[in-house]
Amino acid sequence: MVATSQLQPSPPCLDVFDPSWQGRLEELLGQGRAAGADLVEVFLERTDHLGVLAEQEAITSVSPAFGMGAGIRVFRGERDGFVSTNDLSAKGLRQALEQALGMLGLELLTNGRNGFEGLPELRDHGAGKSDWLSGSPQLAEATARLLEGTALLERHGKHLQARRGSYARDWQEVLVAASDGTFARDVRLHQSLGLNVLAADGEHRSSIGRRYGSHGRPDQLRSWDAEASALEVCESAGAMLYADYVEAGQMPAVLANRFGGVIFHEACGHLLETTQVERGTTPFAEKVGEPIAHEAVTAIDEGLSDGAFGSLSMDDEGMEPQRTVLIENGILKRFLSDRAGELRTGHARTGSGRRQSHAFAAASRMRNTYIGAGQHTPEQLIASVDKGLYCKSMGGGSVGPTGQFNFAVEEGYLIENGKLTKPVKGATLIGEAKEVMPRISMCANDLDLAAGFCGSVSGSVFVTVGQPHIKVDSITVGGR
Amino acid sequence: MGTTPATDHSNTMTSGAAGTLNAGELRDQLAQLAQQHGISRWDLGASCSTDTSVQVDRGEAKQMKGAQRSAITVRVWNGDGLVGITSTSDLSASGLEKALTGARDASAFGNPDDTPAFSPLATAPLPQLEQPRHAPQPILELLSTLKQAEADLLGRHPAISTVPYNGLAQRSSERLYLNSAGACRHQALSTASLYLYARAEETGRKPRSAGAVRLAYGAGELDVSGCIAEAAERTISHLAYAPIDTGHYTCVFSPEAFLDLIGAFASLFNARAVLDGVSLSSRESLGKPLAVPFLSIHDNGLHPGNIGASAFDGEGTPTQRLALLEGGLLRNFLHSEATARAFGVAPTGHAGLGAKVSVGADWLEVGPTPGSGGGQQGLDRFHADGPIVWIDSLSALHAGVKASQGSFSLPFDGWLIQGGEPRSIEAATVAGDIRQLLKAIVGFEGEAKVTPDGLCPHVWVEGLSITGEA
Repeated sequence: MVATSQLQPSPPCLDVFDPSWQGRLEELLGQGRAAGADLVEVFLERTDHLGVLAEQEAITSVSPAFGMGAGIRVFRGERDGFVSTNDLSAKGLRQALEQALGMLGLELLTNGRNGFEGLPELRDHGAGKSDWLSGSPQLAEATARLLEGTALLERHGKHLQARRGSYARDWQEVLVAASDGTFARDVRLHQSLGLNVLAADGEHRSSIGRRYGSHGRPDQLRSWDAEASALEVCESAGAMLYADYVEAGQMPAVLANRFGGVIFHEACGHLLETTQVERGTTPFAEKVGEPIAHEAVTAIDEGLSDGAFGSLSMDDEGMEPQRTVLIENGILKRFLSDRAGELRTGHARTGSGRRQSHAFAAASRMRNTYIGAGQHTPEQLIASVDKGLYCKSMGGGSVGPTGQFNFAVEEGYLIENGKLTKPVKGATLIGEAKEVMPRISMCANDLDLAAGFCGSVSGSVFVTVGQPHIKVDSITVGGR
Repeated sequence: MGTTPATDHSNTMTSGAAGTLNAGELRDQLAQLAQQHGISRWDLGASCSTDTSVQVDRGEAKQMKGAQRSAITVRVWNGDGLVGITSTSDLSASGLEKALTGARDASAFGNPDDTPAFSPLATAPLPQLEQPRHAPQPILELLSTLKQAEADLLGRHPAISTVPYNGLAQRSSERLYLNSAGACRHQALSTASLYLYARAEETGRKPRSAGAVRLAYGAGELDVSGCIAEAAERTISHLAYAPIDTGHYTCVFSPEAFLDLIGAFASLFNARAVLDGVSLSSRESLGKPLAVPFLSIHDNGLHPGNIGASAFDGEGTPTQRLALLEGGLLRNFLHSEATARAFGVAPTGHAGLGAKVSVGADWLEVGPTPGSGGGQQGLDRFHADGPIVWIDSLSALHAGVKASQGSFSLPFDGWLIQGGEPRSIEAATVAGDIRQLLKAIVGFEGEAKVTPDGLCPHVWVEGLSITGEA
């Protein structure tokens, strides 16, 4: 620890989160501790966002946004108070601290830093990332690439009534300081690209979209294979345009790799977050060391994959991410945990404390989450099904407070006698996590990841879902 | 309103303590900055709010939160008449200037084929809304109220073990719309909300859950006992459950469920979606039948049941009641200034604020068209001849609705009623096509109910596909 005794810190720099903030942060943390808090955490954030939308042959929306703010969290025992503000002035931060302390029945004292010796040297994960924002595409380049995308959709698609390309760049600088000695900075750069089409022919309609996302790759838009993306979207839209609605019922299903991983994310991943343990809403709370899935299933959550949408250099509580094995050969190994989760459930932190922005308190959230590769080929999985559903592309999904999950199939095909036959639409898969996980009986050898956004208790965060092709022996398919 | 001088951000446009917007100062400063940068045409939307909220867990405070938020969106028109926009939460002078110049730079990429203008109604008289403002309660008082509510709910039935999702929140907020032509809109509001979502489980049976929500203009005005009673009743009613056979059923949608479904397909009535080619409706749909001839749908943000109603939209246009569907015929679309101009009508007060302005519904009124007979009379789900599926709440609308295709496939909570006896359905989805559904409405049951999303009676629809796990 590097103790300081600066009582009246000089104003920090508002244009960058650098060590000039140390004095002000130490004062806040010290005051919080002196008031009786067990732990005080300050999260500072600056953001710079750019959103661009292209429709048909025109740029129809350019929406830059920038902002700053702070979230102050105070713990006493297992309780906590959290206050967010856009006002980063000394007065604004002090007021926020005072309000957070007041929630726990504590009062801000005039002076004093009991139990707090000062912050250590800044752990700067943002070093070397100073050119990420300037190195990402500027408006002219972004608009040109999107228009290229919508032109390719027109070239490769048929019966297209609407074509859209979207680009979002989210730059974020964060600084986290806590009275346990956490003092860390990071810079994040998330970019996502989307292509969407609506195909229509008489009463037949299909709407298909794909999203591609990265973290820490300023060149993503430049290196984007627009041709391949447009082909993928147009092929899918064409296949689904005249598809019949799926017949409802119980049946085996083979789910494709990449975004097929949303089944694990929704059906099981959320139930392995300590926020669910705290609420008593996961059936797996007391199951560590016990089988909860088929032995073919090994599932991992990590924040380390290079360039993946859910990767982090540190979480939003200043902890470096880990590779967390959640399930190994069907046995539950660990829960994803944040600071509050560790305090309230005893599960050790995993670098999974995440939040959408300073306006949310961090919570245990997934990062890059996937089922590990197996030994089979995708063709072997399909060949093993007499009559079932092949889910080539998934839409979104959700999980409810009793563990019941659902997700939409965007592009589906019937499997008949071990072969893919006709396309079908309108399918929704529903079930309960503890029932479906033992039914994932085969995993293929083609693990791949896909970018997504996950909305939950601490807002919307960037995540990756993933899996190889998997076979579910039986699942409820909602349809017509 | 007063303003408090800056902290160490100079000339901040909100006062630090109360978080109130100073319209005059903001307008003067923006006008000055615009002049410095050669910008003659601009408008601005601003908001600020102060929130407090609490959550509890089995008698203990789980989390207490507070927030002071502020945000500004600036639009500027450049010399070529193109529009650019920038948003920021930095209301300092430098933040304002950065937003203004950012919008000017973005305007170089404005869409010449679809350029928004000031709403011609941005200075029209505003409707008078009856919105009493209440001072916020101390957060520890909120905590005490919510702890008591949780305890009361837990005491309603031995199977109710937790209330995993709960919250009591209050907000004081203000919003502004200003433009360089002199429009100046301002609205201040206080609101409060309570939600209680209980989980119940009996030995050897699956856990079940249900909840209730209440809104009011102040925390002291909330119907806490009503919320507890509704959450308990709904949760307990799902304890005795059974699977349902897959098939086609006559369904009765609760007011909340039907409003959710119509809201998910609101692009049917959205002029922006029509112009973009992603609506099931077209320009030619106006005046054509979309539903059974006894169905009416109005958008009415001014209804007194719409807690927290806005008096004006993002472009300053006054909120109004608008007929969307009358006698089953499509009457009007929801409009912004730009879409209204494209259709040759007046803006309807449903716009956001953007380079490409979004359009959205406020608060829907659904019911029988006066003089139409209202469909089949005397409907009573507890005295029906055949089995009835009573759909209480729909889930996963974000994933299960394909608005541009018209299809939906949605999980729901509800009951199968046979011989007048309701039995909770274990797990099921309802699927169909919205156009077919609107023409398969049989009639309405009971009086229209005020919900957070609108006004609606129970709605009977025949022949919907239900998938169960039986």
